[in-house]
Amino acid sequence: MSVHYPAPIPAQAGIGLRSHHFREILDTPPSVAWMETHPENYFGGGGAPLRVLERIRSQYPLSFHGVGLSLGSTDPIDHAHLGKLKVLIDRFEPAFVSEHLSWSSVGGRSFNDLLPLPYTPESLDHICARIDEVQTVLMRPLLIENITRYLTWQDSTIPEGAFMAEAVKRTGCGILLDINNVYVNAVNFGLDPLDFLNAIPARAVQEMHLAGFDRFGRMLIDTHGQPVCQEVWGLYRWAIHHFGPRPTLIEWDTNLPPLAMLVEQATQSDAILKECHVAAS
Amino acid sequence: MLPLRETQRAFAEAIVEGKYHAATVAMAADGGALRSVALYRRLIRNNYRQALMITYPVLLRFVGGRYFDILARGYLTAHPSISGDLFFYGQSLPTFFDKVQVAPLLVELARLEWACHEVYQAANSPPLSQDQLQALASGDPSQVTFHVHPASRLLSFPVPVHRVWQTLQPDASADVVVELPLPEEETGVVVTRGDGKVRVTPLAMADYLLLKAMARGVDAVSVERMAIESEPDFDFARFMTTVLSLHVIAGLSVEQGV
Repeated sequence: MSVHYPAPIPAQAGIGLRSHHFREILDTPPSVAWMETHPENYFGGGGAPLRVLERIRSQYPLSFHGVGLSLGSTDPIDHAHLGKLKVLIDRFEPAFVSEHLSWSSVGGRSFNDLLPLPYTPESLDHICARIDEVQTVLMRPLLIENITRYLTWQDSTIPEGAFMAEAVKRTGCGILLDINNVYVNAVNFGLDPLDFLNAIPARAVQEMHLAGFDRFGRMLIDTHGQPVCQEVWGLYRWAIHHFGPRPTLIEWDTNLPPLAMLVEQATQSDAILKECHVAAS
Repeated sequence: MLPLRETQRAFAEAIVEGKYHAATVAMAADGGALRSVALYRRLIRNNYRQALMITYPVLLRFVGGRYFDILARGYLTAHPSISGDLFFYGQSLPTFFDKVQVAPLLVELARLEWACHEVYQAANSPPLSQDQLQALASGDPSQVTFHVHPASRLLSFPVPVHRVWQTLQPDASADVVVELPLPEEETGVVVTRGDGKVRVTPLAMADYLLLKAMARGVDAVSVERMAIESEPDFDFARFMTTVLSLHVIAGLSVEQGV
């Protein structure tokens, strides 16, 4: 496989690009190091979204965070979808391209949500073959993100962290480490988040995500609709000291606040990243 | 141990049909399996609903949130999502409305909003070049056919439904009123894009029919003949000026050596 290694994003905070903020970002470009977007929002091939993305790309490094590939599905990979992604990657040259360690479709029906895989040897073989297939088409390494889950499969025999580490070892993919997801899973299932984090190979972690959650009964739901909570900031600080400074995204998809709020959260993230730089020097 | 495919199918059955047994058996016996499936059902349904709300903002304002939810649930059952890209999810809503016989005005409004949704992100195409316009002016018009811009849609309605669309734009004030019933008046519209914004422009029926003919690949001479047959004093120059100003035509083909 011929691999394209893009220019790196600095180990600073970035924000998610949402159409709600297009005008404000173009009029007053915020002081953040980079931006991330869902490539599916630009699959139409024209119009305002692509025009805005071109202008953003001329000012900021970009990262593509896919949500529609259904990487873990047992249906064939949707090559039309993958083809559109490749066209966008070739055009915008994002520093990172990421997808989720999850599935979202079976039998031709799509659930358009991130569903958990059972962590079994069969799933591991399957997801590794799929990551290989995608990386071969895209001709670049993919980052895979740990998801939140609201169930536990009885057949899971491999701890999630070890599952991801083995996928990295077999495919050469990287990891997008979502700290909020680690926290939400730990609370919902009474786990120690450090068990998961300690199993993750530091060199594989290329990017981190921070987000907020909502409470639904006894469960925390990863809605990306609230500020990052104190406990997640704490876990993030631990992760940055453990893995080293990494590009970190403030992810906010629902209940969108003014852009200034995202920038404020990014500033908090930058302060923690700076702490780590100082401690290391 | 269930094979991965069977696990995924069992989960799908639980989500789609409410048949929880196989999925919950595959889940850890921690007492939370039923609650988990119910939660996922709720989250997934909400994703679909949100997608429809983004695609059909005017319809949502027109019918209100409660009725919109009922329609969204019915649509989900009849037309499950088949793409990882939620952009396409609402594609069959007009067909669904037609089939379940909701008020005809809602069918037409859904058709118009879907066209707007497609046009917003449709492929770009450069405006007609000077050379192409020259070819139209100097070539044999019987050999000239037109290419419709990918970011344009031609639609006709039994009532002027575009008035509802224009009145109930998402940024309109909350107390805006739509005058109903709309008059029975066959109306053609063209949906186009300019400066990144979607525009809905009503057309005289003669203009609409000629544009439809152009979109079907009818040559320039035949289009002009159709115009004169429909209205002997039809102003073809005015029509072409309108068409060009709306950027409905993205290109021309001129048959060579025929």
